[in-house]
Amino acid sequence: MVEMTRQEAEIKLRKYFNINTFYDEQWEAISRILRGERILLIQKTGFGKSLCYQFPAICFEHLTIVFSPLIALMRDQISSLQALGIAAKSIHSGQSVEENKQVIEEAKQGLLKILYIAPERQENSTWRDEIQNLKISMVAIDEAHCISQWGHDFRPSYKRIINLVQQLPKYLPILATTATATKRVEKDIADQMAGELTILRGNLLRDNFKLYVIDIKSNDEKMVWLARHVPRLEGTGIIYTGTINDTEAINRWFEYLQIPSKAYSGRLNSDIRVEIEEGLLNNTWKCVVSTNALGMGIDKPDIRFIIHTQFPQSPVHYYQEIGRAGRDGKPTVIILLYNPEDRDLPEYFIENAKPSEMLYEKVIRSIKSELLGQYELMKKNNMTQSQVRVICADLLEQNIIREVYFEKKKKYEFIPDSEPFDHSFYEKIKAAKRKELDSMMEYAEMKSSRMEYLCKHLGDASDREFTNCDNTKLPKHYYRPNSHLENEFRKFSKADFPILKVETKKTNMINGIAGSYYGVTNVGNLIHKCKYENGGNFPNSLLQLLLKAFDSKFGKMKFDLILYVPPTVSGDLVRNLAERVSDILRIPISHDLVKIRKTSAQKMLHNRHLKKDNVEDAFSLKDSQAVVGKKILLIDDIYGSGATIKEIGKFLTEQGADLIVPIVLAKTVGSDKL
Amino acid sequence: MQHAAYWITISHLQRWTNAKINDLIKKIYIDNGADLESFFSLSVSDWENDYSLDERQLLSLSEAKEQVANNAFVAESLIHQGYELIPLISEEYPPTMKENLKMNYSPPLLYVKGNKQLLMEDSVAIVGSRKASSNGMKFTENVAKHATQNYQVVVSGFAKGIDRAALDFAMKYTGQSIIVLPQGITTFASGFKTYYQHIIRGDVLVLSAFHPKAPWSVGLAMARNPIIYGLANHIYVADSSNTGGTWEGVKDGLKKGRTIYIRKPEIEEDSANADLIDMGGTAVDMYGKPISHEKMKSEVNKQKEILEGLSENIVDILAEKALTAKEICTSLNTDISYQKMSVLLKNIDDVEKVKVGRSTKYRVKIPDIFDLQVSQN
Repeated sequence: MVEMTRQEAEIKLRKYFNINTFYDEQWEAISRILRGERILLIQKTGFGKSLCYQFPAICFEHLTIVFSPLIALMRDQISSLQALGIAAKSIHSGQSVEENKQVIEEAKQGLLKILYIAPERQENSTWRDEIQNLKISMVAIDEAHCISQWGHDFRPSYKRIINLVQQLPKYLPILATTATATKRVEKDIADQMAGELTILRGNLLRDNFKLYVIDIKSNDEKMVWLARHVPRLEGTGIIYTGTINDTEAINRWFEYLQIPSKAYSGRLNSDIRVEIEEGLLNNTWKCVVSTNALGMGIDKPDIRFIIHTQFPQSPVHYYQEIGRAGRDGKPTVIILLYNPEDRDLPEYFIENAKPSEMLYEKVIRSIKSELLGQYELMKKNNMTQSQVRVICADLLEQNIIREVYFEKKKKYEFIPDSEPFDHSFYEKIKAAKRKELDSMMEYAEMKSSRMEYLCKHLGDASDREFTNCDNTKLPKHYYRPNSHLENEFRKFSKADFPILKVETKKTNMINGIAGSYYGVTNVGNLIHKCKYENGGNFPNSLLQLLLKAFDSKFGKMKFDLILYVPPTVSGDLVRNLAERVSDILRIPISHDLVKIRKTSAQKMLHNRHLKKDNVEDAFSLKDSQAVVGKKILLIDDIYGSGATIKEIGKFLTEQGADLIVPIVLAKTVGSDKL
Repeated sequence: MQHAAYWITISHLQRWTNAKINDLIKKIYIDNGADLESFFSLSVSDWENDYSLDERQLLSLSEAKEQVANNAFVAESLIHQGYELIPLISEEYPPTMKENLKMNYSPPLLYVKGNKQLLMEDSVAIVGSRKASSNGMKFTENVAKHATQNYQVVVSGFAKGIDRAALDFAMKYTGQSIIVLPQGITTFASGFKTYYQHIIRGDVLVLSAFHPKAPWSVGLAMARNPIIYGLANHIYVADSSNTGGTWEGVKDGLKKGRTIYIRKPEIEEDSANADLIDMGGTAVDMYGKPISHEKMKSEVNKQKEILEGLSENIVDILAEKALTAKEICTSLNTDISYQKMSVLLKNIDDVEKVKVGRSTKYRVKIPDIFDLQVSQN
């Protein structure tokens, strides 16, 4: 506990943070923390929630541990703290083991004031060993809404924080913060944290926001609208899409139009993500096109616009995502491109958030029979990683299994005498989510104040006037056709070929190209007919697309040989396709690439480990000298996980091939059914 | 479990004996009607006044207080992984332990995983050396089987030899067992893997009284023995040599006034069991049944008679030529094992051992002046 008057505190505040005064609400939270209390602080983005633990942290004698869900979030906080000369560091999976060790060492020596960690860190044995040697003054929990299943961003690992809080000594101050907690989530967090908890809730009005909803009838209209309006918007912004593929598609469209932009998603590796985040901070691009993976904790004060091309699952999601803009209080444009038909996507996510009950039972049975890890469960049950993750998280939640750590490996253990799995709980959550989705559409379709609607929805009961949307004082906007841009978009679409990302340092294979996306128009249907319904050879239209794609990227390259992927089920289709390509491009074909053992159809295997095992060392060359020093064009019909192509690339490299370029008719995206 | 971090903190106070720790716990909960949470919220001067602690104790408690927050992280991790903590004041704390070890020796905190109900059952400890004899193993099997049939829980220490056998025999006869670890409970990964099925079926409880991360050590292995004894209603010793854990453990147990059943060794065995019986252990037969004093005497006498009766005959046979123990048995047409016979032979004054080729033969002692050619067949 630290005794300090507001006056004394503000002197310290100027010295360490270059800020003159606290807001009253900040001081209330801080003075309570300094007295050793436990606080849940619900305040809008830009309020200065972080200061409410950062300031006490420098007043306390020992370390403050901050739980934070995202590395990007930690990174941002730390760089601004370090700029102020405050000793703050983090331990996370993006750093090397040595770096993390070094940080722990500094914490042990008392050199740090603030240490950021992810809740998952409790799984790490080094951390568990070392934590005993740290002296702790305070614990803070960022984005505390992740604790609640009823929240929009529940994270199972946050459950562990609750268990920890219940064990922490009563006299240790704790601050949990969030910008988005409905009344229900607030109550849930308070119930779970138990003990003496004070809830401080602020108002959620962001009056610098200008909220618009623009009715759109098709994907093409969206593309045209973006092309016309994004360059005219002031400053830098974010375009949120519903899928990773959309981020890439819009980004390619912007590249075509020469609008500086970047596509961002959780699928990118961390170096690239950091690069894009930094570019965003420095206004390197007009916009970043992203899934909702970007933003939480991006500490950029002047994001001037946010456009959603797909409406999110709930008003809470929406408030959270737009909350990242305009922290500097200056006017900020918030636009939703609304097409009621887009409901399919969020509905799909809600309906398919959970695997079938049967799969749950399957996992329970496996874990009952032996101790298994995630990878073993995937292999044993032919399940995807995300299925296993979701199932295990739910079984943990229902106390049917638990996690144990043996020799640094995480295994799942069955809990004796546990209740049978109860699927109905998720039906309740699903129903609640469907209702939330309805509310989101209500937001888009309503005729009264949008800001008021969002604030009320998030539990802000304060009585104020909200006039910052196109239903109140701002003009209404409509989609206007634009024939020039519509033509451009058609031209762009015809030349927009999917890239096959197969390049690694270990092989001589480079990224290839596909004639089309599998799910687009009727390409998938055509291929399916030929492959599985005896529809004969692949039609000419597909071949033409393939050749066009080839020409766009590799037209000027010289090839010595065409090889094709030997079939599992579809007979001579690919061979015939390769022969036609060989004829047209006048590149000799070889039939030397063969399978030396039977493999399963890759599409029947539901995770990449099984797919990789399925094709590993399955190929051979009849003439071992056939590819030595050659530049090879490798042909297949569909590109899914890429495991087969990659395996052949590895094999041909070993056999002495100089260069391998894969080309295929179509590339699948995430949810495509083959 | 509530207050786990406080319990971890107070149970592993540096340089405090269990007696001292338990005494403090008693003062907190019974005398002052308080709990650990309020105790750790007190100032040092409150501690001094309310608990009359000396300076060294106050210092170590102040140091420990700084560990409570850290131990919360340790506690969370333990609970997350399904380890349970049973403090001295809990209703789940085994009454057998409290009764046997009293406040002086009972560990203030137990870490367990598995079926806690086993702590409430009638229990049998089977102990013995790491190098088990075949009789010791047989005995262990008999006792474990019998215990299992009587719904008693087998308590053992998971050491090589007898301990491990006690556990495995209990499992073989589908019984239940408590494994008492000589280490912290989180360092027992391989055991948890091996006994996974038994644990989830509720047949095994793993228990440790040491800091959850403490690695195996000789010191902890010795400290573990009293806990085994403490947890058991009945103690059986299969094999003991005259040094080491079993030997010291039994001596300690006898000193504390426990009844300890000791397998009566066969006379040919090289075993310290007999010494432990002499020191006050209760002799039992191969099935764990106590051998009464009269029976013991009569058995000794019977053996004497056999010996006396036989020795004459043996001397007669050996007067003609030297024979191996086995050959002697055959000639006498007796069912005594030849191992036993060789022990008997050692005790007959007129007979001596002689090496012939690879075999050991016996002959009647011959005065040195005769240079008798030993027969080669």
